[in-house]
Amino acid sequence: MHSKAGLANPGLLFVLPALLVLAMLIAYPVAYTGVLSVTNDRGDFVGMSNFAAVLAPRVTTQALWNTLWWVAGSIVCQVTLGVATAILLNQQFTGRALLRSVTLIPWVIPSIVAATTWAWMFHTEFGIINHMLTGVGVLPEPIGWLTRGTTVLPAMIAINVWKLFPFVAIMVLAGLQSIPGELYEAARMDGASYWDEIRHIMLPQIRPVIAAVTLLLVIWALNAITIIYAITKGGPANRTLITPIQIFRLAFENVEFNQAAALSVLFFAVVMVIVFTYIKVVASQPGEVQ
Amino acid sequence: MSEAVNPSQGVGRAGLGGPLIAISALLLVAVCLFPFLWMGLSSIKELKELYTIPPRWWPDHPTLANYHKVFFESRIPRYFLNSIVISVGSTGLALALAIFAANGFARFNFRGKAFWQSCVLIGQLLPTAAIIVPLFVTLRVLGLVNTYWGLILVYMIITLPLSVWMLTSYFKAIPIELEEAAIVDGASRVGILFRITLPLSKPGIIAVLVYAFITTWNEFIFALCFATDSTVKTLPIGLAEFSTEFNTDWGAVMAASMVMTIPIALLFILFQKHFIGGLTSGATKG
Repeated sequence: MHSKAGLANPGLLFVLPALLVLAMLIAYPVAYTGVLSVTNDRGDFVGMSNFAAVLAPRVTTQALWNTLWWVAGSIVCQVTLGVATAILLNQQFTGRALLRSVTLIPWVIPSIVAATTWAWMFHTEFGIINHMLTGVGVLPEPIGWLTRGTTVLPAMIAINVWKLFPFVAIMVLAGLQSIPGELYEAARMDGASYWDEIRHIMLPQIRPVIAAVTLLLVIWALNAITIIYAITKGGPANRTLITPIQIFRLAFENVEFNQAAALSVLFFAVVMVIVFTYIKVVASQPGEVQ
Repeated sequence: MSEAVNPSQGVGRAGLGGPLIAISALLLVAVCLFPFLWMGLSSIKELKELYTIPPRWWPDHPTLANYHKVFFESRIPRYFLNSIVISVGSTGLALALAIFAANGFARFNFRGKAFWQSCVLIGQLLPTAAIIVPLFVTLRVLGLVNTYWGLILVYMIITLPLSVWMLTSYFKAIPIELEEAAIVDGASRVGILFRITLPLSKPGIIAVLVYAFITTWNEFIFALCFATDSTVKTLPIGLAEFSTEFNTDWGAVMAASMVMTIPIALLFILFQKHFIGGLTSGATKG
């Protein structure tokens, strides 16, 4: 890199405005959440009572489990589908460029639009999904996808998967296209089949990309209030209540800012533990790459 | 992306078989496109066609009545305007800040650079739900709840970190000799940034603009919390409350969804190449 004595200051000056904005919008609120979580609404210190109040009801545990299902279910399907799509798009065939553009449509469509459109498609009486499934005989009769406790969370996960697997596909495709050709040639000398190439060249080579993308997906899934909130607001019977929505409802429906802050602190801690464990585990993997 | 040399296909062998490719390609198109098509079809159906059992595939009497309702009998036009103001404002602000910050990171050495760079990246990893409450309190103290400025500022959280990151990798790729020549000619650092670096990184800037505009246009949670007055509500919020406002008139909801999707779709189609290029190069260079 380029460094000259005397140029040290302008660099910091260039960076400073952005850092100040981020500090004001991120560092300060994070610290302030901590303060709110141990005080009451008049600002008196109350110790851990907000945490006790927020952990006591059964709904908090339920929301945590829902969050885990939501994140795990979304990510496993997004990565699997995304990688398969990338491998398909890495083939040479006519219309490939067009197919790549079409694949990106779900990702570009606003989440809220995806939510309303899928809610309409999942509609019990007038929805096209029930119509198609009963039409071909998969279902004997229409299902209330969004009103039944057992189907509503999987339906939400399906929407989230549909929305984000294209992102995985594009990222992994970029990774596949940067694999050096010698690797394939060497494998072919050894008489490897195409499936061998996928298993022993492509998958190991794109592992860093998948690792990075997965981390992003985890963060996005943890932030993804939009789809669930717009369709069910966490219902029926809290079956789709994930922790972020619980925080939102505590703060803006029950106006319990301090309890919401306590839950935020817990949520934040869990997320950070997950993120750092993940980075640690991924970073300590023996790297076959580069 | 490169059509030319990808040896997994080039050497006279298809990899996956032709039929398998065809079938999975068709499946992929159907899965990605169908909800969008269904939205479009539903938006031009009459009410009684929407509410028939079993559902009809094609409208017998295509109508624009739903769009008429959205444009003239709802607040959607106002929300559309709000969305434009807020998205343009926050995109512009994020770009201005990111250009300077990325230039600083790409071209200078200063104490703690690596630390500050990772701080910016961590901003991208933050669970936004965890800071909604204090942000709301902060905005209330500053008197920015229910103002354009409130949302514009708050959207920096989601656009600024990635913008800085993407632009830094673009700026680094520009040959340093160009700038050194300009320094010899006595140009100022800011002059160099605006006359040499920026014109050379147009694709990167377009990628950042498109990314920032799309994410702010689509953003829901912050808008839901910080813009509760109809003078500042954005389109996503308008769409979410449409169902209650009209007792879920699905035709109108689908028409409003189309209205909200079309600007994004146009932007994306126009700049697709820059956008994907910028995004994937940032990711693979890490």
